[in-house]
Amino acid sequence: MKQTFKKRKKRSLVDIVCTVCLTIFALLIIIPFWNAVVISLETETAYVRSPFSWWPVEFTLSNYEHLVESSKLLLSAYGATIKITVIGTLGGMVIMVMAAYAFSRQFAGKKPLFMIMLVTMFFSGGMVPMYMHLKNLKILDTHFAVIMLHLVSVYNIIIMKNGFESTPLDLQEAAMIDGANDLKIFATVMLPLQKPLIATFSLFAAVGHWNNWYWPMLIINDMNKVTLQLYLRYIIASSITTARESLSMDGDATFAMGIQMASVFVVILPIMLVYPFLQKYFVKGMMVGAVKM
Amino acid sequence: MKNKKSGLLLEIWKGRYLYLLLLPLFLWLCVFCYIPMGGIVLAFKNYKASLGIWGSEWVGFENFKRIFITPDAMAAIKNTFTVSFGRLLVEFPMGIILAIMITEMPGTRVKKIYQTVFNFPHFLSWIVVSAILTNFLSNRGGINELIAALGGERINFLADKGLFRPILYLTSNWKEMGWSAIIYMAAITGIDPTLYDAASIDGATRLRKIWHITLSGIKSTIAVMFILEVGNVMNAGFDQIFNMQNDVVKGVAQILDTYVYDITFQGIPNYGFSTAVGLFKSVINFILILVANRTVYWLTGEKMYG
Repeated sequence: MKQTFKKRKKRSLVDIVCTVCLTIFALLIIIPFWNAVVISLETETAYVRSPFSWWPVEFTLSNYEHLVESSKLLLSAYGATIKITVIGTLGGMVIMVMAAYAFSRQFAGKKPLFMIMLVTMFFSGGMVPMYMHLKNLKILDTHFAVIMLHLVSVYNIIIMKNGFESTPLDLQEAAMIDGANDLKIFATVMLPLQKPLIATFSLFAAVGHWNNWYWPMLIINDMNKVTLQLYLRYIIASSITTARESLSMDGDATFAMGIQMASVFVVILPIMLVYPFLQKYFVKGMMVGAVKM
Repeated sequence: MKNKKSGLLLEIWKGRYLYLLLLPLFLWLCVFCYIPMGGIVLAFKNYKASLGIWGSEWVGFENFKRIFITPDAMAAIKNTFTVSFGRLLVEFPMGIILAIMITEMPGTRVKKIYQTVFNFPHFLSWIVVSAILTNFLSNRGGINELIAALGGERINFLADKGLFRPILYLTSNWKEMGWSAIIYMAAITGIDPTLYDAASIDGATRLRKIWHITLSGIKSTIAVMFILEVGNVMNAGFDQIFNMQNDVVKGVAQILDTYVYDITFQGIPNYGFSTAVGLFKSVINFILILVANRTVYWLTGEKMYG
């Protein structure tokens, strides 16, 4: 880094403006997170005295303990979300990768079929028809419906298709000359070649399922089937009463804001853990799509 | 004629494995996209649960006419456009600006650290982001503590009709600007580096290089992204608004999607009317996308999909 500066002799105004702006932006993102961490590790008295502090004034884990103790709900929500994420990601990726490969090749009727797929990206019947449809299928209030509604992303199919198209044709042609059929080329040539792309989009899919809340909110009523995101919504809506109850019951030092923030971190924990290591794959995946556009 | 037909059959036979690979996708599209579209008929009916969808009475375009005489619906339409254009104005350029700033930074490690920070919120749901930011913007949150410490008057950011929309744009930028910058950064890396060297020899300043090489090098990307956004005007950000709104700001925050949610799940539902509002939105959305796509194709010769 020093060398680049030397090469440039002096920092230009552009460098300074960029550094200052980017640092301010970064702090604006980090500080609210940090503030939330601090609150989740504080007692109510410390929070009331000073809602914003750089360090937990009276350090306590009681907010987290409260979450773990008081909730079978949290555990079942974690279970539900993990189940939905795993099944949804695997199932969705199989469908999407197969389709993406097929659309990267030439075949009769490709154009109309592609259009049929593309239209669904921009047009849907809307919420009420979908709700009625699920009701008719008798799959309201099921994880099956939650998974199915979030299974396929047409946008990601198109980006993966672009990725498949960018692989050199010679390899496929060589396999064809050897007499391999399309399925074999797909399985033995393309899949191994495109492993990084597929891994990346699996990550996208997994995060999508993890964060999915709209349709789950509309169709899940049974508290035992609630997902993590719904659980968080529920905590945010009810944490005030919960905290009061817990205070009057055991005099515990938990409080609404503390519990809210603690549950935020419980919900995003897996994402926080994997994100720093997987960040570059996400960016790469995004770039695959961007290059063609 | 016969030859042509058998030629087509041969083509189909040749592609048999590819069709097989597409089969699961089209089954899914059928069951979870196209069949539900049948429910659109609800929009043309006076739906009575006891009579079912098909038994209910046809009312033609009555439900659609009702949209235009329902003040709440009209307000929601107006808000949808206002919020979306606000986003185009305030949010759209930020991704581009951020991308240029990051690429102008010296040193790949610094770039990576900044990107790691900027991209992170994209991977959280609006439920999470709203919880964190609502706290931070609240009366006793970080911003107001700072204002108070500097001797200013506390501002109730989230319960102020005039401030709520700007807050929407800012918090949306907070979550997404890093992510939207990636596409432009990818486009910038695609620019021929010799252009910059040549410009340096000609004595161009860095600002001129940013303007003439970087920006002009990514203009087709910008056009495409702009089209995507314009086509998306009818989607003014349900996830964000649904999680951040409150009763005080409902008047400026209520967009079509939240309106449909409200009339469907709160109070006495009228499924026919709800569907009509949803369909009204979908159709305009679809037309806007088609028009926008055509425009970009006509302008740049770049086709977005396919």
